[in-house]
Amino acid sequence: MDTGVTPVAPRVLVADDEDDVRGLVDLAVGRAGCTLVASVADGPAALATARAQRPDLAVLDVSMPGSTGLEVCTALRADPATAGVRVLLLSAGASPDDVARGLAAGADAYLAKPFSVAELVRAVRGLSTAPPRTAGSRPTAGLPA
Amino acid sequence: MTAAVLPRPVPDGAPSPVRPRPGSAPDDLPTLIGFALAAVLLAVGALPVVDVLFVLTGLLVAVLGRLAGLASPAGSPRRWLPGPAAALAGAALLHAGTGSAVTLLLLTGPVAALAGGAGRRGALAGAAGAALAAMAPGLLTGAPVGLAVPLLATAGAAAAGFAVADLAALQRSRDAELDVATRMLAARARTMTSVIDAVTEQSIIGTDVDGVVRVWNPGAERLLGLPRHEVVRGRSIVDFHLSEELAAAAEAAGTAPGLAALVHAAQENGSDVRDWTYVAADGSRRTVSVAITPRTDDRGEHAGWNFVGTDMTEARATERLKDQFVSLISHELRTPLSSILGYLELVLDEDADPLTDEQRQFLTTVERNAHRLQRLVGDLLFTAQVEAGRFTLQPADVDLAGVVRAAEETARVTAAAGGVELVVAVPDDGLVVRGDAVRLGQACDNLVFNAVKFTPPGGRVTLSLRAGWRAADGRVVDGRVVDDPGSDGEPVAVLSVRDTGVGIPAGEQKELFTRFFRASTARRNAVPGVGLGLTITKAITTAHGGTIEVDSAEGEGTTFTLVLPAAR
Repeated sequence: MDTGVTPVAPRVLVADDEDDVRGLVDLAVGRAGCTLVASVADGPAALATARAQRPDLAVLDVSMPGSTGLEVCTALRADPATAGVRVLLLSAGASPDDVARGLAAGADAYLAKPFSVAELVRAVRGLSTAPPRTAGSRPTAGLPA
Repeated sequence: MTAAVLPRPVPDGAPSPVRPRPGSAPDDLPTLIGFALAAVLLAVGALPVVDVLFVLTGLLVAVLGRLAGLASPAGSPRRWLPGPAAALAGAALLHAGTGSAVTLLLLTGPVAALAGGAGRRGALAGAAGAALAAMAPGLLTGAPVGLAVPLLATAGAAAAGFAVADLAALQRSRDAELDVATRMLAARARTMTSVIDAVTEQSIIGTDVDGVVRVWNPGAERLLGLPRHEVVRGRSIVDFHLSEELAAAAEAAGTAPGLAALVHAAQENGSDVRDWTYVAADGSRRTVSVAITPRTDDRGEHAGWNFVGTDMTEARATERLKDQFVSLISHELRTPLSSILGYLELVLDEDADPLTDEQRQFLTTVERNAHRLQRLVGDLLFTAQVEAGRFTLQPADVDLAGVVRAAEETARVTAAAGGVELVVAVPDDGLVVRGDAVRLGQACDNLVFNAVKFTPPGGRVTLSLRAGWRAADGRVVDGRVVDDPGSDGEPVAVLSVRDTGVGIPAGEQKELFTRFFRASTARRNAVPGVGLGLTITKAITTAHGGTIEVDSAEGEGTTFTLVLPAAR
């Protein structure tokens, strides 16, 4: 049955200080069928954009200038207006401790670099279409390479 | 042991403090007492006086003889002689002056003194003197003297003299032996002291059973900044340790804090080597590798503890820096690798504008090498985690047969390309161990890829997995042994990877599991690698409670045998 409502593509924010990696993530977001809200290169810009745009998903690099992905994630969770935004962390840190730190900061998933594009597309698609995060939500996955 | 605990060395040539030197003056006090007693008996009339002049002269000679002996120069070899000689003369005069054979008892002292001082010659001289003294009344006063008294006196003096001479000889022999032993001990103590004092780069600290410092070498002075005299007998070894560290050790070992925590492992195992933090006099802290051993005394009783320390502060700091560097570099390499692999993936998967075969071949080569770089980065990071003690396992029941089959499958293409035959022999019903499937797979892959890499075309790599039993003494036997709960042994899985490759020189085999070590055969044959695979494999095996051994002959091949506890 046609409801007459056009499905809206999930909106995704990307933040990574490495231009090449950011470009790759932008591409993956497109391949996942999502709309790229903004692609920024530092933590403060990521936080400001998230507060202004309220994306469905924020893909954040952990090591960024200004504030780290972990700090941005914590700030998003602390603000009721952005607490529901899903967060996927990307990091070169691949140890169990790194993953645990990311999830403890409130991330929904953690992907260690280097990752495959197909894997990233799957993660973006899964998280962006998940219901908004609530207080009782649990991380969906830590996905070390 | 140093001078602080050993007896002070005796200077060469000095007399032994234990015994008088052989030939020294026998004590003639009993002789003097004998003459004093005789004087008393004469005064009370218990002895007859036949000739007053002889009596007085006899007593006077005895006293003068004693005084003459005392007046002789100290150290004179014959200083002891005047006393007994005068006593013999005095006894002869008293005998002549009293006519009483009782006075001949006064001969006992000088005869013994002569025999003790000059041996058998002295005994003969004493016997002759006794004969003269016995005949003195006849010789000096013309009084009739029978034969019996002189004969008895001479025989008695000779017998007593020889006995004393023999005893004195025995005593001198024992004294000499004791002297030699004392000198040897002193020499040994001097040697030990000089050796310990020569150690300036290691601290050597000896304590008593209560931890009070008894030995403190120059190395300890240098490391901890305190001279020996300020520490020995006055400070405890615990004073130089970090109290928080000792408290943590006490908690871990379940002992009282302080010395008990420090020596607990050495007490349990006979010795212990580990890093401790020493606190120097100026408050600075040093990381020291300390070997602790118990010390026993000459009766084998526990007498204290030895602490031999090597300052590792700089070495440990360098190791930490190295690990941080490896970690940092590895971390930084992962980001550009993301771009390389990601964009390659996009290009290779592009359907809209397909690549030519040649383009695809080139990019596949790039991708293969990027993955190789990725594995190296992973290995470096993993090794850094192991070194830092941050290596954890995700334990589960793992079928090792499946792990071995997977490793064979992964290596099959590479082996085929290199003309190496892969043979697998695993139990049909599997073999389960408790462990981390990913890490065990990594260890197995490392062994198999290594074997393939080092085997020339036409060679063979055999992967064999079997059940075994590890006895309490560590021996491993093949076959499933009925699990006896009362037994100290345990069921194990034995995985061996055997190749017919270039082999490893015997002298290099013990270095094989060291980080970045590469065998000369690997370098000579230009086999690629950085020397981390076996380090990682051993770390994984050890973390699973297993062991890994290598058996290799250069030019014939190598077998790695990995033994892991099987799930019960």
